[in-house]
Amino acid sequence: MATVLWLQGGACSGNTISFTTAEEPSVVDLIVDFGLELIWHPSLGVELGENARRIFDDVVSGVQPLDILVFEGSVIQGPEDSGRFNMFAGRPMKEWVNDIAGQAQVVVALGDCACWGGMPATEPNPTSSTGLQFHKRNKGGFLGPDFKSKLGLPVVNIPGCPAHPDWITQVIVALASGRAGDVALDELHRPQTFFKSFTQTGCTRMQFFEYKQSTTSFGEGTRSGCLFYEFGCRGPMTHSPCNRILWNRQSSKTRAGMPCTGCTEPEFPFFDLAPGTVFKTQKVSGVVPREVPEGNDHLTYMAHAMAARVAAPQWSKEDMFVV
Amino acid sequence: MGAVDLHVSPLGRVEGDLDVRVTIEDGVVTSAWTEASMFRGFEIILRGKDPQAGLIVTPRICGICGGSHLYKSAYALDVAWQTEMPPNATLIRNIAQAVETLQSIPKYFYALFAIDLVNKNYANSPLYEEAVRRFAPFVGSSYQKGLVLSNKPVEIYAIFGGQWPHSSFMVPGGVMCAPTLADVTRSLSILEFWKTEWLEKMWLGCSVDRWLENRTWADVEAWVEENGSQYNSDCGFFIRYCKDVGLDKYGKGVGNYLATGTYFDPQLYGRPTIEGRNAALINRSGIYAGGEYFAFEQERVREDVAHSFYEGDTARHPFEGETKPIDPAVGKKLDKYSWAKSPRYEVPGHGYVPLEVGPLARRVVAGAPGAGSHQDYDPLFSDTISTIGPSIMVRQMARMHEAAKYYRWAKEWLGQINLQESFYIKPVELEAGKGFGATEAARGALCDWIVLEDGKIANYQVITPTAWNIGPRDGEGVMGPMESALVGAPIVDPTDPVELGHVARSFDSCLVCTVHAYDGRSGNQLSEFVVNGMV
Repeated sequence: MATVLWLQGGACSGNTISFTTAEEPSVVDLIVDFGLELIWHPSLGVELGENARRIFDDVVSGVQPLDILVFEGSVIQGPEDSGRFNMFAGRPMKEWVNDIAGQAQVVVALGDCACWGGMPATEPNPTSSTGLQFHKRNKGGFLGPDFKSKLGLPVVNIPGCPAHPDWITQVIVALASGRAGDVALDELHRPQTFFKSFTQTGCTRMQFFEYKQSTTSFGEGTRSGCLFYEFGCRGPMTHSPCNRILWNRQSSKTRAGMPCTGCTEPEFPFFDLAPGTVFKTQKVSGVVPREVPEGNDHLTYMAHAMAARVAAPQWSKEDMFVV
Repeated sequence: MGAVDLHVSPLGRVEGDLDVRVTIEDGVVTSAWTEASMFRGFEIILRGKDPQAGLIVTPRICGICGGSHLYKSAYALDVAWQTEMPPNATLIRNIAQAVETLQSIPKYFYALFAIDLVNKNYANSPLYEEAVRRFAPFVGSSYQKGLVLSNKPVEIYAIFGGQWPHSSFMVPGGVMCAPTLADVTRSLSILEFWKTEWLEKMWLGCSVDRWLENRTWADVEAWVEENGSQYNSDCGFFIRYCKDVGLDKYGKGVGNYLATGTYFDPQLYGRPTIEGRNAALINRSGIYAGGEYFAFEQERVREDVAHSFYEGDTARHPFEGETKPIDPAVGKKLDKYSWAKSPRYEVPGHGYVPLEVGPLARRVVAGAPGAGSHQDYDPLFSDTISTIGPSIMVRQMARMHEAAKYYRWAKEWLGQINLQESFYIKPVELEAGKGFGATEAARGALCDWIVLEDGKIANYQVITPTAWNIGPRDGEGVMGPMESALVGAPIVDPTDPVELGHVARSFDSCLVCTVHAYDGRSGNQLSEFVVNGMV
């Protein structure tokens, strides 16, 4: 039986809510069938009040052993490094994080805010928010670049805004069933099993991408084409399994016609949402995408594009997702 | 003002933590202070950004109501950019808003509210064992099934919006998707599955149509006794249990209500404007105060920061709203105690007053006379508050009643989608303008005010339902709705004041609440506990 403590800092609870939509295992399965001991959670916990505070104190003192700390939300450091923008159980939350992270066998940052600061850390970052072990793409964050949990692991980052429920439930089951050694991390501390592939991997628009055929508009325009060329889709540059492990067991944003916003990468929201950047592909000379698929450069991209357009069959210029 | 709580923190506070302080005298709460204790500054982040930034940022205010945030932020931009909206887009937005709420109803009820019903304080009730069997967290028969089935409605959201939570698929001029035939038929099948397995089999014990025949509280009382299936359903049991343990006796609140309304008739809101909004609504907007009904007018909203951790003490309309946080350590010396702003509404003849928002507010407003043929008229809860008065039980029943109504509407809207027609009309991206968008999140009225200048956001203010309900005292010292509702609560065991949890949770605020109970005479703190408040 693994003990899990779940806390929220500068959070919207989106990762918790996403977690509750899990199936196979569901939240109930995790607890009843997998014997997970959720020693406290802001919305699912049973212990109240003084009992809750006692749990936190016992974890800090080591009386209550803690296998997994799940942290959701940014670490709020303002104003002026006091942490008073986010008080919790009588203290700035950042102090709890500092005290509890050192007692956990494994620390999991769940969602962009906990991984790298996320939405609250968007310019001008009014609350001085940061992630547990990264600030945006820079290693460090609140706990510092050298932090290791008791098991000797850095913070395990499960990004996304929110993270898909399976990404967290499967990692929890892996950690709780003694497979921590199988959780290989990439340079951003993300489990490779989920984040090696691209958001584009498995996208139903992939054939349109191959033949460089663009979607022409939102709505009925998305019955055809790829969203990369005009609508700012970041699918080819973003690492996630959104089109391998579908959302709510049904679909994904790109399948439904919404451009990927790159929410599993530290730069999300990209360009700090500057005017002209939302749902619009940024271009060089008005034609070539400023960012090309990972591993390409502008020259090879253009050569490939030219050949692809020549090769494009008629069906790639017609609607595919029809009534 | 500000937008609310969100202000600065509005967002922050939305999901943040709430401390509640109460004074107890002779076993009864005599005063209360609600203190939101987290600030994220989303309104500050939005300034100077792309006009469409709100579509990405505001859902992240609240992971529970992200779809509702998207819905109203899209309409705020539709108004500012003067877009044209095809009927299909209105229908899909309506469906998405509805299924998010249909998800929230059972999830909130079982995971957050009903677990308090098994508190040991009720162990003497003859119904206690049955309550434990059904509602005990993680193992209760209804808890397990209800929590898992609550995920079904948002599968429909994912079909149209790609994922839930946190899609941004509603854009000015319509929606990003263009569903296929199978998208619609599968959505219909999922909705029917959820209706059959949870709504009818577990919750009601009867058909949706039978439940919706109830037009008065007396009808509901008779419905419980009508047959064994209804008597023993979760709904029938809940009503009997509430009456047995007294949840129909307290948690009244301010007794004045606000609904900003939601869901538009696809033929009547093809060109979204502030002026045309009320008439186009299906779930109506309105105010019920001092026993009278009034029309909702957004210009009568103010946000007061007298007791909130923001600079100044001026009440402002959100178009002129500010979000300038101050260090709570400084604010406390100025008698400020919460990150929530205090939204107030000028009711003709009553001045600026606090108003309760949420399902009960919506249902009371639904009882107002004068509904158009496309609008909801439903007298059940206006009758209920005039016969048995508002209470924790009534607030819950209003929420659960909407499951049946919204199911029926969502099904109708799915049937009205014309797959051969348009889902989006590309708008002209105006450099300047003002917009107002609003909806009803599961937990109440949710509004955005946006000001665009030079092709970017000059001001963005959000007022959440949580701000309306849990906001602190205003400049006149008048308590917010939840503070008012806490007053009068009987506290059986001051070391485990579950009654405060019931009241606080009956508002379904998106907060984690820490409740401190004080002895009114000695001033000593009696206990402290955390109220789970999300979703």
